[in-house]
Amino acid sequence: MLKTILAGLRARTARLVLSSIAIALGVAFVTGTLVLGDAVGEQTRDNFARSARNVDAAVHTAENSPNREDGIPADFLQKIRNTPGVEGADSREFGSAALLSGEGKARNALVQPLPTTEKLRDFNLKDGKFPVKADEAAIDVKTAQIAKLKVGDKLKLLDKDNAEHAFTIVGTYQQGASSISMSGSDHVVVSPEGLRTVIPDQRVYEIVAVAKAGVTQQQLVADITKAIGPGYQVQTGEELTQATLAQVGDAAGEIKTFLLAFAAISLVVAGMVIYNTFTILVAQRTKELALLRCVGANRSQVFRSVLAEALFMGLAASVLGLLGGIGVSAGLQTFISTFGGPSGGDDNPIRLPISWVTIAAGFGVGVVVTVLSAVLPARRATRVAPVAALRSQPDSSDDVARTGKVRIAVATLIALVGGAAVYFGLQQEKEEPAMFITGGATMVLLLAVLLLGPLYVPLVNRLFGKALRGVPAKLASANAGRNPKRTAATTAALMIGVTIVAMVAVVAGSGRATMNEQVDKRFPADYAVKSNVYSQPLSPKFTEDLAKVRNVAQIAPELRAFGESPKLEYADVTGYPTEALGSLVRPDLAAGTLTGLKDGEIAMREKEAKTAGVAIGSTVPISGKDLKVVALIKDNSYGTGIVTLKTAESILKEPVKGYQNVLVKLAPGTDITQARADLERFIATSPVAVLDSAAETKAELNSQIDQILLFIWALVGLALIIALFGIANTLTLSVLERTRESALLRALGLTRGQLRQMLVVESILMALIGAVVGVLLGAGFGWLLVEAISNSEFTISFSIPFGQIGIMLGLAVVAAVIAAALPARRAARNSVVAGMAEA
Amino acid sequence: MSALVSEVGTRTAAAAHNLVKVYGKGDTAVRALDGVSVAFQAGRFTAIMGPSGSGKSTLMHCLAGLDTVDGGAIHVGQTEITKLNDKDLTKLRRDRVGFVFQAFNLLPTLTAEQNILLGLELAGRKPDKEWFDTIVDVLGLRDRLTHRPTELSGGQQQRVACARALVARPEVIFADEPTGNLDSRSGAEVLDFLRMSVRKMGQTVIMVTHDPVAASYADRVVLLADGRLAGEIHQPTTESVVNALTHLGA
Repeated sequence: MLKTILAGLRARTARLVLSSIAIALGVAFVTGTLVLGDAVGEQTRDNFARSARNVDAAVHTAENSPNREDGIPADFLQKIRNTPGVEGADSREFGSAALLSGEGKARNALVQPLPTTEKLRDFNLKDGKFPVKADEAAIDVKTAQIAKLKVGDKLKLLDKDNAEHAFTIVGTYQQGASSISMSGSDHVVVSPEGLRTVIPDQRVYEIVAVAKAGVTQQQLVADITKAIGPGYQVQTGEELTQATLAQVGDAAGEIKTFLLAFAAISLVVAGMVIYNTFTILVAQRTKELALLRCVGANRSQVFRSVLAEALFMGLAASVLGLLGGIGVSAGLQTFISTFGGPSGGDDNPIRLPISWVTIAAGFGVGVVVTVLSAVLPARRATRVAPVAALRSQPDSSDDVARTGKVRIAVATLIALVGGAAVYFGLQQEKEEPAMFITGGATMVLLLAVLLLGPLYVPLVNRLFGKALRGVPAKLASANAGRNPKRTAATTAALMIGVTIVAMVAVVAGSGRATMNEQVDKRFPADYAVKSNVYSQPLSPKFTEDLAKVRNVAQIAPELRAFGESPKLEYADVTGYPTEALGSLVRPDLAAGTLTGLKDGEIAMREKEAKTAGVAIGSTVPISGKDLKVVALIKDNSYGTGIVTLKTAESILKEPVKGYQNVLVKLAPGTDITQARADLERFIATSPVAVLDSAAETKAELNSQIDQILLFIWALVGLALIIALFGIANTLTLSVLERTRESALLRALGLTRGQLRQMLVVESILMALIGAVVGVLLGAGFGWLLVEAISNSEFTISFSIPFGQIGIMLGLAVVAAVIAAALPARRAARNSVVAGMAEA
Repeated sequence: MSALVSEVGTRTAAAAHNLVKVYGKGDTAVRALDGVSVAFQAGRFTAIMGPSGSGKSTLMHCLAGLDTVDGGAIHVGQTEITKLNDKDLTKLRRDRVGFVFQAFNLLPTLTAEQNILLGLELAGRKPDKEWFDTIVDVLGLRDRLTHRPTELSGGQQQRVACARALVARPEVIFADEPTGNLDSRSGAEVLDFLRMSVRKMGQTVIMVTHDPVAASYADRVVLLADGRLAGEIHQPTTESVVNALTHLGA
């Protein structure tokens, strides 16, 4: 029997190669996604937990320690360095200072000392060297870009008393993502001595240590605890890593979850393509298998031969696919780092971590799915009487059996479960569970829709077919409808891919539209002038002069005051001049009126009013004053609520130094470029003021969303490729199967061109069925998600990005034409007589 | 046998002149047709017979423009089809020739009616409603028009194929073992119909068969052996055909 199998493999090389490519692609898709996921994970770990890199022990002030405010005593560093088992230790601290660069504008900068132990540096040097002398400094690459500084330049840091300290930039570095590095200001690293000159008594928040070789982290922790005494928290490096990751939290985890979800989807898509290919393959061989039975092979021999063949193919293709997947992952990472994405950005090295999970998943998909896909058709092939099988015609009534009642029942059940889950998800008030539950539920619904494919795919096909003119096109439609199960399975892969993209596109598009609306609403002002340095607000004098700039119609200084209230956890209010309310400041009102807000009154955030148990007309105590609630607002961007400037000043503990933010409205009909130039000229007089406009904010937000979309499009491209390969595969095998039919058509007068056209149209039809149903599903699911994420405070308005969806449909058609090219050529090349003779 | 075998006074529907067809190359080359010259009169029912491997199917395929030739010329009507390219050959098949094959005559995706009208649709021609009705009624297919091939018996499928061949009123209908897959009763029905289409409707039918009974329905039998013409019988009967075949050594 082995001989027969090998001979069979040899004889059907062409078909087997095709199916193997399908399997290999599926495996490549899965492994590629998994490798990429692991790479992102590794990168995230490195990126977000770089501060824990090489750390074997870390000391913090204990959670409830009374000396938490003071930080770790200065002499601890020496104590730890003297502890046996410690190879090196460094303190972690950072202070804030104003940075003066060439332009003369001050910027807020975080200054950190360079760890003396090389292993403990949580910065990657990019250029030059790290500072050694007290007057040397290194800056991070983003700071270099934004402040337009380079190695060799001078920079000045201002200390508390505005005294200038000059440094020479000797290097640039890249830092990991952390709450410190993400805080938007500039970043400077100086030597520990250099830091003391600018900030003499900076609080130390952490001391990290590296163990000598052979000393375990646990042992080091024990030793250090003994050396410094109680009252401090000492963690192992591993604990610190976990804690750090947990702190930066979900950002990294979300990407991983997303990729895992995508891997799961890729698994299903790949499985479908493989299953479909094998079903067709075995169906075509029914006659051959029957012949084997006729000459004396028994049922189980035939069955085993099919399985053995599947196993062989699955193994061979999996190896190819695994290698391909690694290539895919490398390619994707290059793509992402070239075009920038959420995890890309600065030139991260390409990582190709290959875990056992990846290998197992790859082979699992390749071998198990292939063998399982072979079992069903093989069982069918061996169940029929041999002679009946010899006579069978492709797509006879047995193959095209009606959609089973069981299938419908199961699908309905799944749909009900999905529907219930969607309902449950929509009821959630919190954004994240709502999103996850609803998202998961839509995937359940998708499964139900896929199961019901054989029911509606012929209907959609007929609908499209009605629009077609010409005999080849009509024949194509008939061909696409001849085996609903096969067509459904072929289109399913594409349908899944398109559904996901459409869904993401809709959600992201809606988010973008909403954000733009929000920006418009939140920035009724044309410009905002902000202080670049937190400790140096815009002075009242500056504000007064700003109002006098040509074409400025109105200004509104904003004053944030942090008060206390027995009824609220936080009581920070935002003060505006009364006349700005309703014009320059327009929050979303839930009740009451805002205009004419008087001193001692507050327009309170609805949610906090509920917490405090107050309503319009009652009062809320903040910092010893009873503020009368006159309005309720929905926005959360004003803290506890909006008050008048005077009220905010009275809540403030110290006298007003100035304002962080001043809103500016131009006189109607002003030439924007002219006005902007005027404003910029005025602002240049202040060392800290910067101009911020709604347009720029919008552009920045949009570019962030675009980056996420880019990442998704890259993954979706992959899904599309494999789905279209599925179509090409089905079509090729169909062409082989329909050789006699094609010959008959040619005999009856179908030209070669028309035959090709027929296959191309068939391919386009299948692609469009998948894509159109996918778009509809995706838009629907997207709407559900948008509804789920929206809650009473934050409403996303649903919008469909027609352009993107149009492009997607266009791509599907183009790809369908490409998919049909080879099979069509092959079909047209066949000689009529040879085709008629084919058994 | 170099002279054209023809009947004086009748129009020629199709003719082959010194036709050569070789399969394979070098030592394994087989001359499937080795200088065959034969003419088929319009309005007649001609059967081509011969033992297996005599070249009868090849002759028909070449006459119908389904296969290329290695020498000689073929005319369908006034057209020398051996000079046509693939596109023109396709057009010729579509517009001027009808086919009935042994099996697999119909497209499984189309209904009987759609199958019958397929050739006309390909040519972009409007079917003649009256003619269509006549054929459908004669063939007894009226209540089968909406059925798909899988829902039809073998005899019904062959009758649908006949209807498709006839509905376009082609110059010649080629039938390749049209009864090969049928039981004798269904076979007789189909042959009756082919003969009637010649007698009453003036069709020209050229049929390849190895069944003497089927051949006896024809007006004339052309005999082939080893790729050469080996005689002919006019007004054949089953017996005369069997006799002739026996002499050929079949």
